[in-house]
Amino acid sequence: MSNPSKPGYVPYVVIWVWLIALLAGGTFVSYLPVGKTGAVLLILGIALIKTLLVGMFFMHLKSERSVPLWVVVLFPFLLIGGAVLLVAPAIFFFA
Amino acid sequence: MAHHGHDAHAAALPSTGIPNGKLGMWLFLASEVMMFTGLLGAYIILRAGLGSWPHPGEELNVPAAALNTFILLTSSLTMALSVAAVHRAEPAKLRLFLLLTILLGLAFLGVKGYEYSQKFAHGHLPGTGIFWDCYFTLTGVHGVHVLAGIITNLWLLWLTFRSDFLETRGHFVEVSGLYWHFVDVVWIFLFPLVYLI
Repeated sequence: MSNPSKPGYVPYVVIWVWLIALLAGGTFVSYLPVGKTGAVLLILGIALIKTLLVGMFFMHLKSERSVPLWVVVLFPFLLIGGAVLLVAPAIFFFA
Repeated sequence: MAHHGHDAHAAALPSTGIPNGKLGMWLFLASEVMMFTGLLGAYIILRAGLGSWPHPGEELNVPAAALNTFILLTSSLTMALSVAAVHRAEPAKLRLFLLLTILLGLAFLGVKGYEYSQKFAHGHLPGTGIFWDCYFTLTGVHGVHVLAGIITNLWLLWLTFRSDFLETRGHFVEVSGLYWHFVDVVWIFLFPLVYLI
């Protein structure tokens, strides 16, 4: 029943391999002597890449062309950015 | 990996260009992003505000959490394959991938239950310190989300045995998949923030 014009299974497996490699990399980085700040930046950077892979390929955002949907997807992150800017002084100057 | 929907009920509405179910799920996920950001933000501010914080690697079972990350990432793969099976009109593979997703979700909760039982045995319970309060709140709320995803996928698996499933309800799999991937994304951030950093 398979049809060459229909989405294949293999590209998803390739993305999964990348995700597992990044999981191994993120866990490995936490044991490296790179300092707390360096480790935090590297580990969260890897988490962000994994999130983009899941969002773009598994959740099909890569092929999403609907502007209203992108607004729904991105709007919470706009609010989060504003919230981070509001609390950042409390974290960095008063903690 | 483009969409090739053949489910008439999943047609995009002219007003939004998006099927109702998909738009509804994305709106729900937007509210979930805000909720988890609130929880994680509170956790980060609590950690930053306290002078000392136990090293997670000494208190928590990092190998078990890494195994759980592997399990959840793999379940995201099987969920994505379920959606592809719908688009390819392959019901047998759809059932197989949905079943694997459910089993991997149960495995995740099993490992989490093992972790919790270890903590309880050592007297680490919610209310025994801010570190444990944060740990149980963050992982507990996430675990409830995993359970909700498993129940939804079990219902979907049952529905797939209807002869008209692909024609009338195939888009349910994609909507459920969005939720399942979101739960995976939350864990992608919880794992490093709670267990590694």
